[in-house]
Amino acid sequence: MFNFTLYKRGMQGSWKMLLIFAAVLTMYFTIIISMFDPALGSVLNEFAEAMPELMAMVGMTPSSTTMLGFMSAYLYGFIMLIFPMIFSILSANKLIARHVDNGSMTYLLAAPVKRRTVAFTQMKVIASGIFALTAYATIMGIIACELSFPGELEIGKFILLNLGALCLQLFIGGICFLCSCIFNDTKYSIGFGAGIPALAFIIQMMANAGAELENAKYATFFTLFNPDGITAGETGAIWGMVTLFVGAMVLFISAITIFNKKDLHI
Amino acid sequence: MSVMEIDNLTRDYGKGRGVFDLSFSVEKGEVFGFLGPNGAGKTTTIRHLMGFIKPKKGGCIIGGKDCWRDSAAIQKTLGYIPGEIAFFDDMTGTDFLNFTMKYRGTKANGRVKELLDRFELDPRGKIKKMSKGMKQKVGIIAAFAHDPEILILDEPTSGLDPLMQNRFIELIIEEKAKGKTILMSSHMFEEVERTCHRVAIIKDGRLVAMDSVDALKAAQVKKYVITLESAKDATEFAKESLTVAGVVQNHVTVTVGSNIRELIALMNRYPVINISAPSQNLEEIFMQYYGGSK
Repeated sequence: MFNFTLYKRGMQGSWKMLLIFAAVLTMYFTIIISMFDPALGSVLNEFAEAMPELMAMVGMTPSSTTMLGFMSAYLYGFIMLIFPMIFSILSANKLIARHVDNGSMTYLLAAPVKRRTVAFTQMKVIASGIFALTAYATIMGIIACELSFPGELEIGKFILLNLGALCLQLFIGGICFLCSCIFNDTKYSIGFGAGIPALAFIIQMMANAGAELENAKYATFFTLFNPDGITAGETGAIWGMVTLFVGAMVLFISAITIFNKKDLHI
Repeated sequence: MSVMEIDNLTRDYGKGRGVFDLSFSVEKGEVFGFLGPNGAGKTTTIRHLMGFIKPKKGGCIIGGKDCWRDSAAIQKTLGYIPGEIAFFDDMTGTDFLNFTMKYRGTKANGRVKELLDRFELDPRGKIKKMSKGMKQKVGIIAAFAHDPEILILDEPTSGLDPLMQNRFIELIIEEKAKGKTILMSSHMFEEVERTCHRVAIIKDGRLVAMDSVDALKAAQVKKYVITLESAKDATEFAKESLTVAGVVQNHVTVTVGSNIRELIALMNRYPVINISAPSQNLEEIFMQYYGGSK
């Protein structure tokens, strides 16, 4: 079910990208955390008051004045959604569809390695990448908070919040990977693999922005990730996390099954 | 005992493309030439053998195993050269050969080194920047590196220069002596003539003919172009008791079966200034053999 040589190659192909994303996340995390001011609120809150609609669109509506509420609003409404998502889109396409499109899949299958093993191994590459990014964000977030505002962050709840983000990102990764396994053509693999999550994200932004469009939230899976709900320990939000995780597993299993059965004109 | 069996294989891509009710088998220790014009269905057949596509009707078996269901098990002892070789981006030849060995779980052996020497390949450069011939050599080495019992070779010498084509033929002859079973698609008569036991030709997805290479060679009709001093000589020469395929100015094209002595005797009596034997492609020879049937 697993081929280490292929996994190693996949990880070698991802680490540069992971490094760049990790650097971007570090930059955003440190800048935003430094803007937190427990006594007076934050400069960002003034923005939210000045441009309530724009800030709402990108999920930046803090529900509490704690460090956790602050981070969940300013980092987990946009930045922690978008960057791992871009990683998934780029990585998923590279792992299956591109090999089929340019024909190098031949060499992965002209070997005593089952197709299922190839797909499963590549899935582990993308899942590892997502896991690494989220784990990095968690650790880096904790360290950054402890350095600038010792004791302000509720670490347990922050880890739970990241677990939620991990479920969401795995779900997105599942969509991208499924598209990579379905389409033989890179342009469709990227088109759908990027298009579906992007569309869902835009719907989410619209639902956040206007009262009349609020029902649009039922049309996007991003609704299942509710940072405020998770940090408040709401049952609904926890179920949302579970649903995303189960959905991710279903997507990955479907992707592997489809790849296992399809005709490859390579 | 047949190692490869293709039984009623059918795959219709529409517009007459695909393969239709194709059946043939390759025996153990046999080198089997698989010929046909472009688009005849050779690669489609090979894709089925490799388990890349699922047969719509019929099926194929290698070593008693189903090519679609048990492809990974079959691949343990199989070497493959794709018709169009595509490697991974940004790998050097050395990286690629190391990768395939490790990926397949092949123990390091002296084979790669030996093949690199044989084909005079320096694999250290990026594959992306290699010439067509160099890429082909990398593909050949990757296919033979794990010393497979069965080989499926889709136009293995395309892009190689004549010297290297010859080295490749020598390699096939050695493998043949070791009792390997080989299915090889090719456009080169020499390659097939020197290596294959039997040949099958397919056209429009159907098997048109199948016979031994010896039978093919025995019945081969050779073409010669004889150049005479003048057009007048040529016309007269053409009137002699030979099978004439055409006269153009002072050139006469004749086809000769076993009566080469007769041609030589005739040429002695005429002012012949040149004789040449244009190379015939394999399909042409084969179709001639079968009376040009379509």
